[in-house]
Amino acid sequence: MLSASALQRLGIAVASTGLALLVGLVVVAATGYDPVQFLVDVFEGSFGDSTATARTLKFTTIFVLTGVAVAVAFRAGVFNIGVQGQFVVGGFATIVTILWLAPFLPGGAVGGVALMALGTVAAVLAGGAYAAIPGLLKAYADANEIITTIMLNFIAVGVVGFLVEGPFRGEGNRAPNTARLPEYVDLPRLVYDNPDFSVVGLAVAVVTVVIVAFVVGRTRFGYDLVTSGRQEAAATFSGVDPDRMVVATMTFSGMLAGVAGAVFAIMIQGYYSDPSGVATYGFDAIAVSLLAANNPLGVVPASLLFGGLDSAGSHISINSDLPVQLIDGIIGLVVLFVAAPELFRMAAERVGLGEDRR
Amino acid sequence: MSASVGDYVEGNSLRLGGALGVVALAVVAALSLDVPLGEIVTVGFVERSLQAATPIALAAIGGLYAEKSGVFNIGLEGFMIFGAVNTAMLVWLVGGSSPTQGDLAVAMVGAVLVSLVYALVFAVFLIRYQANQIVAGLAVWFIGLGFGPFTAVLLWGNRNSPGLVSVQDVTVPVLADLPVVGPILFDTSPLVLLTAVVAVAAWVVLYRTKYGYWLQAAGENPEALDTAGVDVNRVRYAAVIFSGILAGLAGAVLLAHAGSFTGTGDTMVDGRGWIGIVAYLFGNYNPLGAAAAALLFGGLDMLQIQFQTAGIELPNRLVSLFPYIAVVVVLSVWGSTRMPAAVGEPYESED
Repeated sequence: MLSASALQRLGIAVASTGLALLVGLVVVAATGYDPVQFLVDVFEGSFGDSTATARTLKFTTIFVLTGVAVAVAFRAGVFNIGVQGQFVVGGFATIVTILWLAPFLPGGAVGGVALMALGTVAAVLAGGAYAAIPGLLKAYADANEIITTIMLNFIAVGVVGFLVEGPFRGEGNRAPNTARLPEYVDLPRLVYDNPDFSVVGLAVAVVTVVIVAFVVGRTRFGYDLVTSGRQEAAATFSGVDPDRMVVATMTFSGMLAGVAGAVFAIMIQGYYSDPSGVATYGFDAIAVSLLAANNPLGVVPASLLFGGLDSAGSHISINSDLPVQLIDGIIGLVVLFVAAPELFRMAAERVGLGEDRR
Repeated sequence: MSASVGDYVEGNSLRLGGALGVVALAVVAALSLDVPLGEIVTVGFVERSLQAATPIALAAIGGLYAEKSGVFNIGLEGFMIFGAVNTAMLVWLVGGSSPTQGDLAVAMVGAVLVSLVYALVFAVFLIRYQANQIVAGLAVWFIGLGFGPFTAVLLWGNRNSPGLVSVQDVTVPVLADLPVVGPILFDTSPLVLLTAVVAVAAWVVLYRTKYGYWLQAAGENPEALDTAGVDVNRVRYAAVIFSGILAGLAGAVLLAHAGSFTGTGDTMVDGRGWIGIVAYLFGNYNPLGAAAAALLFGGLDMLQIQFQTAGIELPNRLVSLFPYIAVVVVLSVWGSTRMPAAVGEPYESED
């Protein structure tokens, strides 16, 4: 995939998504539902009206942050499949920190902003630290990070689930949830009147992406990160310690996952619930990143697409009896097709499209 | 390249010594902390551990074959989800709400055949279209996580199936009455025995037959195998399809032991495919070693029941994390296994 041009990558992304949707439509038809109605539902559910658009942008916000977290790791040749776990740990840290600090700070807008900032810092630290574990294990014990990060996802969900059920359950809560954040700790509602979405959250996500793009594209750290992913020998030759680079990359990626967790906790939930019920933003982020060819800026449009798909899923689950899990399956198919660019190259050659390989 | 048990012990003395050391340490800790060891290590515990180990062992042996041939099948977890949900679906379609043992057997065979088709498609993606093995394997997992529960919702209107049927224990007369060994080996799930047979057969084929030699050569030195006139990619196709079949069987076995399909969260497979990968790494790519490692993870998985009956106050939710923690520890201590040399590299014949 590294030898593909930007245009080819875009073509592969579009073709993968189109093909996955087509397979989805076939499944819809084969299971006795109306594929045309499905398509209409997808469009209405994602951008049909301002409610749908706000919902799409809500999912997009989280996907942008989790997606860029995955992308920086993949760029450096490190497979961080643990964004989901880092996201959970970060979000939980945000809620706990804000709940702890709230009594010590003034209420109102000033206190709210200060608490949100401190909560986000806590998420960044927690997410980074949690991601550093598989980084250290890979660098110094040669443990495959794909498997350790997946195991750490299970462990994060289990431990945080245990904590919100027992020690951190809000007083008098029947459900296994923490206490709610104070009223004044929330992002302002601008443009869209949706309790779970704020344009400020989206702005935070986009600014984060721009910063990451700058770090990856314009700084020494970013240069080392990309070269250690593409040409390990060259990176080592220019004085980069590959072990330290792996740890740094994982930590950086986990910090971004932490930001995603903080935005999710503050903007969407307002408390923390059992993470086994939280949507798998960290896994879908892998699809987002792959579709964006692991380019930080490319993550934004890819997130919009997946935000739209998830939003359509919410719409379908209310307005149709078609099982919404179909959307997850389609996302999996997108990943499968993105993994095999050769498939499209061969297909394109057969129909006489595109330039010669090599 | 051939390996006898003696060679295995010699080549893996550190691994075996480490495993023994951990067990010894656990026993010492249990004794010194006054844990009722007798109530934890019971015949029932061994039986349950063997049952819990079977799906992990089957998936591990399949994954090991694929990797030995030079293809990293990281999609085991996904194939297991499909194996489980398809078995549940077929049981329901064949036997309705009160299926028999025969219906279960038919469903398991059917689900394994479906797995064969999926694995064939996956193999074409990996070998013909040279898909990124890691990304494609993850994709299989995601597709399983989506379409597994999707199938359940279509059939039962719920991500979980109703209670269907679980496999009955087979009791061998007379032998079953032997103390300890009797209930563990001669009064147990036939699928445990099947897994033992598969593990031994996989070992024999891998180390004692021409096919096993080809398989190892395809992963270690594909050029040499090609020169010897054997089609490398054909060997790899066979290995990947075999791994998909075994992972599908692993999912079917999981369902047959549980009796119903669970599609919430990470589904009933719940990471066992990933643990299978670690099991064969820990077993150093040896089918028997992989099965033994699976037993270790299966035992950890079943500890929560033992803790409860022994009255040990540990939150269930934390005890259930033991296998995952063990995987991280095992991988950190014995992470640097020597992979077959050509894993992950597509092979293109020069002619």
